Amino acid sequence: MTEAVIEVAIIFIKVVVLGFILFSLPLPLTWIERKIAGHIQVRLGPFRVGPHGILQPFADMVKMLFKEDVIPEQADRFLFRVAPIISMVPVFMVFVAIPFGESWTIPFINKEVTLYVADMNVGLLYILAISGVAVYGIILGGWASNSKYALLGGLRSSAQMISYEVALTFACIGVVMLASSLNLIDIVKTQTGGLTNWNVFYLPVGPLWFIIFFIAGLAEINRIPFDLPEDEGTLAAGFHVEYSGIRFAYFMLAEYIAMVSMSVLAVVLFFGGWDDPTGLGFLPPIVWFLLKVGFFIYLFMWIRFTLPRYRYDQLMSIGWKILIPLSLLNILVTGWMII
Amino acid sequence: MKEKKKEGVLDILKKVLFVDILKGLSVTVKYNVSRSVTIRYPDEEKWIPYQRFRGAHTLNKTEDGKELCVACELCVKACPTKCITVVPEEDDTGRGIADRVPKVWKVDLVRCLFCGYCEDACPTTAVRLGREYELACFSRDDAVREKERLLKPQEVPEGFEGGVVVSAKFERTKEGIRVKPDIWKPKDKNWWKKV
Repeated sequence: MTEAVIEVAIIFIKVVVLGFILFSLPLPLTWIERKIAGHIQVRLGPFRVGPHGILQPFADMVKMLFKEDVIPEQADRFLFRVAPIISMVPVFMVFVAIPFGESWTIPFINKEVTLYVADMNVGLLYILAISGVAVYGIILGGWASNSKYALLGGLRSSAQMISYEVALTFACIGVVMLASSLNLIDIVKTQTGGLTNWNVFYLPVGPLWFIIFFIAGLAEINRIPFDLPEDEGTLAAGFHVEYSGIRFAYFMLAEYIAMVSMSVLAVVLFFGGWDDPTGLGFLPPIVWFLLKVGFFIYLFMWIRFTLPRYRYDQLMSIGWKILIPLSLLNILVTGWMII
Repeated sequence: MKEKKKEGVLDILKKVLFVDILKGLSVTVKYNVSRSVTIRYPDEEKWIPYQRFRGAHTLNKTEDGKELCVACELCVKACPTKCITVVPEEDDTGRGIADRVPKVWKVDLVRCLFCGYCEDACPTTAVRLGREYELACFSRDDAVREKERLLKPQEVPEGFEGGVVVSAKFERTKEGIRVKPDIWKPKDKNWWKKV
């Protein structure tokens, strides 16, 4: 009986800690993104609030909280309120299945805790399914605003998701075939033991899986060069054009957490998770994991300030004419290689 | 009809290996680690304009402290916006270089268009357009500058060449805020011109 209570308590604590970290992650991320944007454009970025502008996100947060929360007169009031939450909740739910490491022994009481909330046998399936739900927030937000720009943003988003979700899933199938498991911990375990065991270096198909996954992932989380749902050049701000204040902050929060989850997924599926590439073990596995995730977050931001946005028809032709056939071919080749 | 250009094998290979995207990424990462061109204006740095700059007016004095202005009112005549007011008076105490000196010499900077005709008209080079460019104020009356203020020595002396960014200090006093430049501490902000 007491064991069960302790187990439940540990899970509860893990969820609270994870939730707290995820809620506070966008604060440093917005600052980092604006700094990277600034330095890539030979500017300084935020500089006046705190040393090197480090307190800027807090100032932004206070501003967001105190802004008037406008709901357009013609909007569908219920859906308009619910949409930001629908887009935010699934990206948090994704992290339930993500392993950050194997286990960790708490010092002093010698209690071993696993570094994941739930060890799911169908972890990858769960993640792909749940992250697909997030798009409903964008579609509903676009539709409920009763504005042309927002509706177009929502429509684009749904079309984009349909075309890229397929490629994303196909890219994951190769990894699943290799590990013969949907469990993310098993997938990482098959990659342990140095660089050459990482899925991305499973030649010749590994790099291709990763490139397809990465491009589809960029489209999935609406980042430049595929951020057509919020294309500010043609749609003002796309699906969140009518949102303001804290509801707008929810969408931004969802976007940043989605970026983190995509980075984590890329690391877990292709870059060996918490595997130490040097094999020397001078850094704990969780540090390696975070370093890799950090690199991917930087990569997403770096790409954002390098590439222009693709046109809508280009987006569609990349998705349907290149990525999906290529990923199908890739699965075929992987099958041959395994046999 | 425009004929579609045929792609060679090399072009396709370039596309497959993302050569152009990688080139772009390498350019941006170079800029990411390079120095920034931002002038941190009110806090740390300030731009000192060239000598040819036409900012707020200033009235010059001779080296022994006599007012150069002889209140001839040529600047008033030359001014296209009629923003200068001069009232002459007689004063033989040696205040000016002549017996005729201005009782009132004021300029309304709201109406002034900084054309510099007053400088050109002035026979004694008393009125000059200086290098002060922070002209914001809280009321229209504040924008009218009287003789007493204009006679004060300029923050940047006339002989200083200018065209540089110098380190500065942001000062908050009861009279208002100002950015005090230290003109002998120039900062190199032209590195990007050589890139």
